[in-house]
Amino acid sequence: MIERVGVIDYGLANIRSVINAINCFPVEVFVAECGSELESADAVVLPGVGNFRSGMKALRERNYEECLNKLVIEDGRPFLGICLGLHFLFDASEEGGESGLGWVEGTVRRFLETPENKVPHMGWNEVEIDDSPCLFTDLEPPLDFYFAHSYHVPLEGVAESIVTAVGNYGVPFVAALERDNLHAVQFHPEKSQLAGMKLLENFLTVS
Amino acid sequence: MLKVRIIPCLDVDKGRVVKGVNFVDLVDAGDPVEQARIYDREGADELTFLDITASHEDRETIFDVVRHTAEECFMPLTVGGGVRVLDDIRKLLLAGADKAAINTAAVKRPEFVREAALKFGSQCIVVSIDAKTVGDGRHEIFTHGGRNPTGIDAVQWAKRMTEYGAGEILLTSMDRDGTKIGFNLPLTRAISDAVPIPVIASGGVGELDHLVEGVIEGHASAVLAASIFHFGTYTIGQAKAHMKAAGVPVREDPKT
Repeated sequence: MIERVGVIDYGLANIRSVINAINCFPVEVFVAECGSELESADAVVLPGVGNFRSGMKALRERNYEECLNKLVIEDGRPFLGICLGLHFLFDASEEGGESGLGWVEGTVRRFLETPENKVPHMGWNEVEIDDSPCLFTDLEPPLDFYFAHSYHVPLEGVAESIVTAVGNYGVPFVAALERDNLHAVQFHPEKSQLAGMKLLENFLTVS
Repeated sequence: MLKVRIIPCLDVDKGRVVKGVNFVDLVDAGDPVEQARIYDREGADELTFLDITASHEDRETIFDVVRHTAEECFMPLTVGGGVRVLDDIRKLLLAGADKAAINTAAVKRPEFVREAALKFGSQCIVVSIDAKTVGDGRHEIFTHGGRNPTGIDAVQWAKRMTEYGAGEILLTSMDRDGTKIGFNLPLTRAISDAVPIPVIASGGVGELDHLVEGVIEGHASAVLAASIFHFGTYTIGQAKAHMKAAGVPVREDPKT
Protein backbone atom coordinates (compact mmCIF):
# COMPACT_ATOMS: atom_id res chain seq x y z
CA MET A 1 0.00 0.00 0.00
CA ILE A 2 1.29 3.42 -0.98
CA GLU A 3 1.33 5.87 1.89
CA ARG A 4 4.23 8.16 1.09
CA VAL A 5 4.81 9.49 -2.42
CA GLY A 6 8.12 11.16 -3.18
CA VAL A 7 8.08 13.71 -5.99
CA ILE A 8 11.47 14.37 -7.50
CA ASP A 9 12.52 17.99 -7.75
CA TYR A 10 15.63 18.57 -9.81
CA GLY A 11 15.19 22.32 -9.86
CA LEU A 12 13.96 22.78 -13.42
CA ALA A 13 10.47 21.36 -13.66
CA ASN A 14 7.17 22.80 -12.47
CA ILE A 15 6.29 20.22 -9.84
CA ARG A 16 3.49 22.20 -8.17
CA SER A 17 0.74 20.81 -10.42
CA VAL A 18 1.80 17.23 -9.81
CA ILE A 19 1.87 17.76 -6.06
CA ASN A 20 -1.55 19.46 -6.14
CA ALA A 21 -3.01 16.56 -8.07
CA ILE A 22 -1.57 13.83 -5.82
CA ASN A 23 -2.72 15.80 -2.80
CA CYS A 24 -6.30 14.99 -3.81
CA PHE A 25 -5.72 11.40 -2.71
CA PRO A 26 -5.26 9.99 0.78
CA VAL A 27 -1.48 9.75 0.60
CA GLU A 28 1.31 11.86 1.96
CA VAL A 29 3.29 13.71 -0.68
CA PHE A 30 6.77 15.02 -0.13
CA VAL A 31 9.30 16.74 -2.35
CA ALA A 32 12.76 15.24 -2.58
CA GLU A 33 15.55 17.60 -3.50
CA CYS A 34 18.28 15.00 -3.73
CA GLY A 35 18.55 11.26 -4.12
CA SER A 36 18.96 10.31 -0.48
CA GLU A 37 15.71 12.06 0.45
CA LEU A 38 13.76 9.51 -1.58
CA GLU A 39 14.59 6.57 0.68
CA SER A 40 11.38 6.76 2.68
CA ALA A 41 9.08 6.91 -0.37
CA ASP A 42 6.69 4.02 -1.04
CA ALA A 43 6.32 5.32 -4.59
CA VAL A 44 8.30 7.76 -6.71
CA VAL A 45 7.00 10.30 -9.23
CA LEU A 46 9.37 11.92 -11.70
CA PRO A 47 7.66 14.87 -13.39
CA GLY A 48 9.33 16.81 -16.10
CA VAL A 49 9.08 19.64 -18.52
CA GLY A 50 11.93 21.28 -20.32
CA ASN A 51 15.14 20.00 -21.77
CA PHE A 52 16.44 16.41 -21.70
CA ARG A 53 20.12 17.26 -21.41
CA SER A 54 19.82 19.80 -18.59
CA GLY A 55 17.27 17.59 -16.85
CA MET A 56 19.50 14.49 -16.87
CA LYS A 57 22.46 16.57 -15.83
CA ALA A 58 20.51 17.95 -12.87
CA LEU A 59 19.32 14.44 -11.92
CA ARG A 60 22.94 13.25 -11.85
CA GLU A 61 24.20 16.28 -9.97
CA ARG A 62 21.62 15.69 -7.26
CA ASN A 63 22.61 12.06 -7.03
CA TYR A 64 19.26 10.71 -8.17
CA GLU A 65 20.54 8.20 -10.69
CA GLU A 66 22.15 5.82 -8.25
CA CYS A 67 19.30 6.14 -5.80
CA LEU A 68 16.64 5.53 -8.46
CA ASN A 69 18.49 2.48 -9.74
CA LYS A 70 18.37 1.03 -6.27
CA LEU A 71 14.82 1.99 -5.26
CA VAL A 72 13.06 1.41 -8.54
CA ILE A 73 15.07 -1.21 -10.39
CA GLU A 74 16.43 -3.29 -7.48
CA ASP A 75 13.77 -2.78 -4.78
CA GLY A 76 10.84 -2.51 -7.18
CA ARG A 77 9.08 0.50 -5.70
CA PRO A 78 6.28 1.87 -7.91
CA PHE A 79 7.54 4.59 -10.22
CA LEU A 80 5.68 7.02 -12.45
CA GLY A 81 7.51 9.18 -15.00
CA ILE A 82 5.63 12.05 -16.62
CA CYS A 83 6.50 13.63 -19.99
CA LEU A 84 10.25 14.28 -19.84
CA GLY A 85 10.12 11.79 -16.97
CA LEU A 86 9.30 9.16 -19.61
CA HIS A 87 12.13 10.29 -21.88
CA PHE A 88 14.68 9.96 -19.06
CA LEU A 89 14.08 6.19 -18.89
CA PHE A 90 15.54 5.65 -22.37
CA ASP A 91 19.13 5.39 -23.52
CA ALA A 92 19.44 8.74 -25.20
CA SER A 93 17.61 11.66 -26.80
CA GLU A 94 18.09 13.71 -29.93
CA GLU A 95 17.59 16.68 -27.62
CA GLY A 96 21.10 16.52 -26.30
CA GLY A 97 24.36 14.91 -25.28
CA GLU A 98 23.66 13.53 -21.82
CA SER A 99 22.72 9.84 -21.74
CA GLY A 100 19.42 8.77 -20.17
CA LEU A 101 18.85 6.32 -17.31
CA GLY A 102 18.89 3.48 -19.82
CA TRP A 103 16.18 1.42 -18.11
CA VAL A 104 14.38 1.01 -21.40
CA GLU A 105 16.01 0.46 -24.77
CA GLY A 106 15.32 3.17 -27.32
CA THR A 107 16.02 6.73 -28.36
CA VAL A 108 13.89 9.85 -27.97
CA ARG A 109 13.35 11.72 -31.27
CA ARG A 110 12.05 15.12 -32.33
CA PHE A 111 8.71 15.34 -34.12
CA LEU A 112 8.92 16.44 -37.74
CA GLU A 113 7.00 19.64 -38.37
CA THR A 114 4.39 19.57 -41.11
CA PRO A 115 1.60 22.05 -41.89
CA GLU A 116 -0.86 19.56 -40.34
CA ASN A 117 1.30 18.69 -37.37
CA LYS A 118 2.79 21.70 -35.69
CA VAL A 119 5.52 21.29 -33.08
CA PRO A 120 5.28 21.37 -30.08
CA HIS A 121 2.54 18.75 -30.04
CA MET A 122 0.37 20.84 -27.76
CA GLY A 123 -3.11 20.05 -26.56
CA TRP A 124 -5.50 17.16 -26.05
CA ASN A 125 -4.97 14.04 -28.08
CA GLU A 126 -6.39 10.57 -27.99
CA VAL A 127 -4.44 7.51 -26.94
CA GLU A 128 -5.15 3.91 -27.90
CA ILE A 129 -4.86 1.31 -25.20
CA ASP A 130 -5.02 -2.43 -25.34
CA ASP A 131 -5.84 -5.02 -22.72
CA SER A 132 -6.75 -2.48 -20.05
CA PRO A 133 -3.30 -1.88 -18.60
CA CYS A 134 -3.39 -1.15 -14.90
CA LEU A 135 -2.89 2.62 -15.11
CA PHE A 136 -5.97 2.81 -17.31
CA THR A 137 -8.24 0.69 -15.12
CA ASP A 138 -11.86 1.88 -15.34
CA LEU A 139 -11.05 4.36 -18.09
CA GLU A 140 -13.02 3.86 -21.30
CA PRO A 141 -12.20 5.24 -24.76
CA PRO A 142 -12.23 7.84 -26.19
CA LEU A 143 -9.33 8.77 -23.96
CA ASP A 144 -7.96 12.26 -24.44
CA PHE A 145 -5.02 13.50 -22.44
CA TYR A 146 -3.11 16.78 -22.43
CA PHE A 147 0.25 16.72 -24.22
CA ALA A 148 2.94 19.43 -24.41
CA HIS A 149 6.14 18.14 -26.02
CA SER A 150 8.37 18.42 -29.07
CA TYR A 151 10.19 15.10 -28.59
CA HIS A 152 8.69 11.62 -28.55
CA VAL A 153 9.62 7.95 -28.35
CA PRO A 154 8.87 6.30 -31.71
CA LEU A 155 6.90 3.11 -31.36
CA GLU A 156 9.30 1.29 -33.59
CA GLY A 157 12.24 -0.03 -31.65
CA VAL A 158 10.52 -0.24 -28.26
CA ALA A 159 9.59 -3.68 -26.94
CA GLU A 160 5.92 -4.15 -27.80
CA SER A 161 5.21 -5.90 -24.52
CA ILE A 162 5.82 -2.78 -22.43
CA VAL A 163 3.88 -0.25 -24.52
CA THR A 164 0.43 0.17 -22.98
CA ALA A 165 -0.87 3.24 -24.80
CA VAL A 166 -0.05 4.61 -28.23
CA GLY A 167 -0.47 8.18 -29.42
CA ASN A 168 -0.39 9.36 -32.98
CA TYR A 169 0.93 12.67 -34.26
CA GLY A 170 2.04 12.11 -37.81
CA VAL A 171 3.88 9.07 -36.43
CA PRO A 172 2.80 6.58 -33.77
CA PHE A 173 4.59 7.18 -30.48
CA VAL A 174 4.75 5.71 -26.99
CA ALA A 175 2.05 7.43 -24.90
CA ALA A 176 2.40 5.11 -21.89
CA LEU A 177 4.53 2.19 -20.86
CA GLU A 178 4.45 -0.34 -18.04
CA ARG A 179 7.02 -2.88 -16.97
CA ASP A 180 6.42 -4.37 -13.56
CA ASN A 181 6.68 -1.46 -11.11
CA LEU A 182 7.83 0.94 -13.82
CA HIS A 183 5.20 3.28 -15.30
CA ALA A 184 5.60 6.29 -17.53
CA VAL A 185 3.32 8.52 -19.56
CA GLN A 186 4.08 11.07 -22.27
CA PHE A 187 1.05 13.20 -21.45
CA HIS A 188 0.32 15.21 -18.31
CA PRO A 189 -2.20 13.39 -16.10
CA GLU A 190 -2.01 16.28 -13.62
CA LYS A 191 -3.39 18.54 -16.38
CA SER A 192 -5.87 16.09 -17.88
CA GLN A 193 -8.89 16.72 -15.67
CA LEU A 194 -11.03 13.64 -14.89
CA ALA A 195 -9.13 11.13 -17.01
CA GLY A 196 -5.80 12.28 -15.60
CA MET A 197 -6.99 12.16 -12.01
CA LYS A 198 -8.33 8.64 -12.51
CA LEU A 199 -4.99 7.56 -13.93
CA LEU A 200 -3.14 9.00 -10.93
CA GLU A 201 -5.56 7.28 -8.59
CA ASN A 202 -4.88 4.02 -10.41
CA PHE A 203 -1.16 4.49 -9.99
CA LEU A 204 -1.58 5.05 -6.27
CA THR A 205 -3.96 2.16 -5.69
CA VAL A 206 -3.48 -0.62 -8.19
CA SER A 207 0.12 -0.33 -9.31
CA MET B 1 -6.27 13.10 -33.51
CA LEU B 2 -5.18 16.34 -31.87
CA LYS B 3 -8.24 18.23 -30.69
CA VAL B 4 -8.90 21.92 -31.22
CA ARG B 5 -8.72 23.60 -27.84
CA ILE B 6 -11.42 25.92 -26.56
CA ILE B 7 -9.87 28.36 -24.12
CA PRO B 8 -11.88 30.73 -21.95
CA CYS B 9 -9.98 33.83 -20.89
CA LEU B 10 -10.42 35.73 -17.65
CA ASP B 11 -9.32 39.37 -17.39
CA VAL B 12 -8.03 39.88 -13.89
CA ASP B 13 -7.33 43.23 -12.21
CA LYS B 14 -5.92 43.31 -8.67
CA GLY B 15 -7.04 39.71 -8.20
CA ARG B 16 -10.63 40.25 -9.39
CA VAL B 17 -12.31 39.40 -12.67
CA VAL B 18 -13.15 42.70 -14.31
CA LYS B 19 -15.69 41.81 -16.95
CA GLY B 20 -19.24 41.24 -15.76
CA VAL B 21 -20.52 37.73 -15.41
CA ASN B 22 -23.82 36.01 -14.92
CA PHE B 23 -23.00 32.47 -14.06
CA VAL B 24 -25.97 31.38 -12.05
CA ASP B 25 -24.23 29.42 -9.35
CA LEU B 26 -21.47 31.84 -8.45
CA VAL B 27 -21.29 33.05 -4.90
CA ASP B 28 -18.77 35.75 -5.76
CA ALA B 29 -18.90 36.74 -9.42
CA GLY B 30 -15.62 38.59 -9.22
CA ASP B 31 -13.61 35.70 -7.88
CA PRO B 32 -11.39 34.32 -10.64
CA VAL B 33 -10.78 31.07 -8.78
CA GLU B 34 -14.48 30.35 -8.59
CA GLN B 35 -14.92 31.04 -12.29
CA ALA B 36 -11.94 28.88 -13.11
CA ARG B 37 -13.59 26.07 -11.19
CA ILE B 38 -16.74 26.39 -13.30
CA TYR B 39 -14.80 26.34 -16.55
CA ASP B 40 -12.90 23.31 -15.28
CA ARG B 41 -16.14 21.53 -14.49
CA GLU B 42 -17.54 22.42 -17.91
CA GLY B 43 -14.56 20.78 -19.58
CA ALA B 44 -12.62 23.81 -20.84
CA ASP B 45 -9.46 22.55 -22.53
CA GLU B 46 -7.23 25.19 -21.01
CA LEU B 47 -7.62 28.46 -19.14
CA THR B 48 -5.95 31.81 -19.69
CA PHE B 49 -5.65 34.55 -17.10
CA LEU B 50 -4.87 37.95 -18.47
CA ASP B 51 -3.52 40.09 -15.65
CA ILE B 52 -4.35 43.67 -16.50
CA THR B 53 -3.15 45.06 -13.18
CA ALA B 54 -1.16 48.18 -13.92
CA SER B 55 0.81 48.73 -10.72
CA HIS B 56 3.67 46.57 -9.67
CA GLU B 57 2.57 46.32 -6.03
CA ASP B 58 -0.69 44.68 -7.00
CA ARG B 59 1.06 42.07 -9.12
CA GLU B 60 1.43 39.68 -6.21
CA THR B 61 -2.30 39.01 -6.31
CA ILE B 62 -2.09 37.19 -9.64
CA PHE B 63 0.29 34.67 -8.08
CA ASP B 64 -2.31 33.96 -5.40
CA VAL B 65 -5.01 33.55 -8.03
CA VAL B 66 -2.86 31.12 -9.99
CA ARG B 67 -1.87 29.25 -6.83
CA HIS B 68 -5.45 28.78 -5.67
CA THR B 69 -6.69 27.85 -9.12
CA ALA B 70 -3.93 25.31 -9.64
CA GLU B 71 -4.80 23.67 -6.33
CA GLU B 72 -8.14 22.52 -7.61
CA CYS B 73 -8.27 22.87 -11.39
CA PHE B 74 -6.36 20.20 -13.24
CA MET B 75 -6.14 21.75 -16.67
CA PRO B 76 -3.41 23.80 -18.32
CA LEU B 77 -3.12 27.40 -17.13
CA THR B 78 -1.61 30.26 -19.12
CA VAL B 79 -0.98 33.65 -17.60
CA GLY B 80 -0.31 36.81 -19.59
CA GLY B 81 -0.01 40.49 -18.83
CA GLY B 82 2.94 42.21 -17.23
CA VAL B 83 5.47 39.42 -17.86
CA ARG B 84 8.67 41.43 -18.17
CA VAL B 85 11.61 39.54 -16.69
CA LEU B 86 12.63 35.90 -16.25
CA ASP B 87 11.77 36.05 -12.58
CA ASP B 88 8.14 36.91 -13.44
CA ILE B 89 7.93 33.64 -15.38
CA ARG B 90 9.60 31.64 -12.64
CA LYS B 91 7.16 32.97 -10.05
CA LEU B 92 4.18 32.14 -12.26
CA LEU B 93 5.41 28.59 -12.83
CA LEU B 94 6.10 28.07 -9.15
CA ALA B 95 2.57 29.23 -8.40
CA GLY B 96 1.24 26.55 -10.75
CA ALA B 97 0.98 28.19 -14.18
CA ASP B 98 2.01 26.03 -17.12
CA LYS B 99 2.72 28.80 -19.60
CA ALA B 100 3.54 32.47 -19.53
CA ALA B 101 2.44 34.79 -22.32
CA ILE B 102 4.87 37.56 -23.25
CA ASN B 103 3.69 40.59 -25.20
CA THR B 104 5.11 44.10 -24.78
CA ALA B 105 8.36 42.86 -23.26
CA ALA B 106 9.03 40.87 -26.44
CA VAL B 107 8.47 43.89 -28.65
CA LYS B 108 10.75 45.98 -26.45
CA ARG B 109 13.48 43.37 -26.33
CA PRO B 110 13.00 40.30 -28.56
CA GLU B 111 15.96 38.50 -26.98
CA PHE B 112 13.86 38.12 -23.84
CA VAL B 113 11.85 35.43 -25.63
CA ARG B 114 15.00 33.53 -26.53
CA GLU B 115 16.26 33.68 -22.95
CA ALA B 116 12.89 32.59 -21.58
CA ALA B 117 12.61 29.63 -23.97
CA LEU B 118 16.14 28.50 -23.17
CA LYS B 119 15.55 28.64 -19.45
CA PHE B 120 12.03 27.26 -19.17
CA GLY B 121 11.53 25.37 -22.44
CA SER B 122 9.52 26.43 -25.48
CA GLN B 123 6.44 24.58 -24.28
CA CYS B 124 5.83 27.18 -21.60
CA ILE B 125 6.57 30.32 -23.59
CA VAL B 126 3.63 31.85 -25.42
CA VAL B 127 4.22 34.99 -27.43
CA SER B 128 1.16 37.16 -27.42
CA ILE B 129 0.67 39.31 -30.51
CA ASP B 130 -1.86 42.12 -30.86
CA ALA B 131 -2.24 42.96 -34.54
CA LYS B 132 -4.44 44.90 -36.91
CA THR B 133 -4.80 44.94 -40.65
CA VAL B 134 -3.51 48.31 -41.85
CA GLY B 135 -4.52 50.14 -45.02
CA ASP B 136 -2.62 48.21 -47.64
CA GLY B 137 -3.63 44.73 -46.44
CA ARG B 138 -0.53 44.37 -44.29
CA HIS B 139 -0.87 43.25 -40.71
CA GLU B 140 0.90 45.32 -38.10
CA ILE B 141 1.75 44.81 -34.43
CA PHE B 142 0.33 47.22 -31.86
CA THR B 143 1.15 47.52 -28.17
CA HIS B 144 -0.55 49.09 -25.15
CA GLY B 145 -3.97 47.67 -25.82
CA GLY B 146 -3.89 48.46 -29.52
CA ARG B 147 -3.07 52.15 -29.15
CA ASN B 148 0.57 52.21 -30.14
CA PRO B 149 1.59 51.20 -33.67
CA THR B 150 5.04 49.67 -33.90
CA GLY B 151 5.58 49.51 -37.66
CA ILE B 152 6.43 45.80 -37.22
CA ASP B 153 4.91 43.40 -39.74
CA ALA B 154 2.90 40.79 -37.84
CA VAL B 155 3.80 37.83 -40.05
CA GLN B 156 7.52 38.58 -39.95
CA TRP B 157 7.30 39.09 -36.22
CA ALA B 158 5.55 35.77 -35.66
CA LYS B 159 8.25 33.98 -37.67
CA ARG B 160 10.98 35.71 -35.72
CA MET B 161 9.40 34.83 -32.37
CA THR B 162 9.20 31.19 -33.51
CA GLU B 163 12.90 31.22 -34.34
CA TYR B 164 13.59 32.64 -30.89
CA GLY B 165 11.89 29.64 -29.30
CA ALA B 166 8.26 30.61 -28.71
CA GLY B 167 6.18 27.45 -28.28
CA GLU B 168 2.88 29.02 -29.20
CA ILE B 169 1.42 32.27 -30.49
CA LEU B 170 -1.60 33.90 -28.93
CA LEU B 171 -2.87 36.10 -31.74
CA THR B 172 -5.39 38.80 -30.93
CA SER B 173 -7.16 40.55 -33.78
CA MET B 174 -7.01 44.05 -32.26
CA ASP B 175 -9.35 45.43 -34.88
CA ARG B 176 -11.95 42.87 -33.81
CA ASP B 177 -11.50 42.76 -30.04
CA GLY B 178 -14.84 43.42 -28.35
CA THR B 179 -16.72 43.76 -31.67
CA LYS B 180 -18.39 40.33 -31.62
CA ILE B 181 -18.10 40.13 -35.41
CA GLY B 182 -15.53 37.34 -35.49
CA PHE B 183 -11.75 36.96 -35.81
CA ASN B 184 -9.76 38.83 -38.44
CA LEU B 185 -9.51 35.71 -40.58
CA PRO B 186 -6.96 36.89 -43.19
CA LEU B 187 -4.64 37.89 -40.34
CA THR B 188 -5.20 34.64 -38.47
CA ARG B 189 -4.59 32.54 -41.55
CA ALA B 190 -1.51 34.55 -42.61
CA ILE B 191 0.14 33.90 -39.25
CA SER B 192 -1.06 30.30 -38.79
CA ASP B 193 0.27 29.37 -42.22
CA ALA B 194 3.57 31.18 -41.66
CA VAL B 195 4.72 29.48 -38.45
CA PRO B 196 5.32 25.82 -37.53
CA ILE B 197 4.04 26.30 -33.96
CA PRO B 198 0.41 26.35 -32.74
CA VAL B 199 -1.55 29.59 -33.06
CA ILE B 200 -4.39 30.48 -30.68
CA ALA B 201 -6.92 32.82 -32.29
CA SER B 202 -8.42 35.53 -30.11
CA GLY B 203 -10.48 38.70 -30.39
CA GLY B 204 -13.94 39.30 -31.79
CA VAL B 205 -15.85 36.13 -30.97
CA GLY B 206 -19.58 36.80 -30.63
CA GLU B 207 -21.08 33.65 -32.12
CA LEU B 208 -20.15 29.99 -32.01
CA ASP B 209 -19.68 30.04 -35.78
CA HIS B 210 -16.80 32.44 -35.24
CA LEU B 211 -14.94 29.72 -33.34
CA VAL B 212 -15.42 27.34 -36.25
CA GLU B 213 -14.25 29.96 -38.77
CA GLY B 214 -11.10 30.59 -36.77
CA VAL B 215 -10.13 26.95 -37.24
CA ILE B 216 -11.46 26.15 -40.72
CA GLU B 217 -10.68 29.48 -42.40
CA GLY B 218 -8.12 30.95 -40.04
CA HIS B 219 -6.20 27.65 -39.62
CA ALA B 220 -5.82 28.26 -35.87
CA SER B 221 -4.92 25.35 -33.56
CA ALA B 222 -6.98 26.72 -30.68
CA VAL B 223 -9.60 29.39 -30.09
CA LEU B 224 -9.85 31.76 -27.17
CA ALA B 225 -12.89 33.75 -26.12
CA ALA B 226 -13.87 35.85 -23.14
CA SER B 227 -17.23 37.54 -23.22
CA ILE B 228 -19.36 34.80 -24.81
CA PHE B 229 -18.45 32.59 -21.88
CA HIS B 230 -18.31 35.28 -19.18
CA PHE B 231 -21.74 36.59 -19.90
CA GLY B 232 -23.14 33.11 -20.06
CA THR B 233 -24.19 33.53 -23.70
CA TYR B 234 -22.80 30.07 -24.38
CA THR B 235 -21.32 27.31 -22.27
CA ILE B 236 -18.11 25.49 -23.08
CA GLY B 237 -20.26 22.42 -23.78
CA GLN B 238 -22.37 24.29 -26.34
CA ALA B 239 -19.22 25.59 -28.02
CA LYS B 240 -17.84 22.06 -28.25
CA ALA B 241 -21.08 20.61 -29.59
CA HIS B 242 -21.25 23.35 -32.22
CA MET B 243 -17.69 22.79 -33.33
CA LYS B 244 -18.14 19.06 -33.44
CA ALA B 245 -21.24 19.43 -35.64
CA ALA B 246 -19.16 21.59 -37.98
CA GLY B 247 -16.57 18.84 -38.31
CA VAL B 248 -13.95 20.32 -35.97
CA PRO B 249 -12.36 17.72 -33.68
CA VAL B 250 -13.01 18.56 -30.03
CA ARG B 251 -12.43 16.73 -26.79
CA GLU B 252 -15.39 15.14 -25.11
CA ASP B 253 -15.69 14.22 -21.48
CA PRO B 254 -14.24 10.82 -20.68
CA LYS B 255 -16.39 7.98 -19.50
CA THR B 256 -15.24 6.84 -16.10
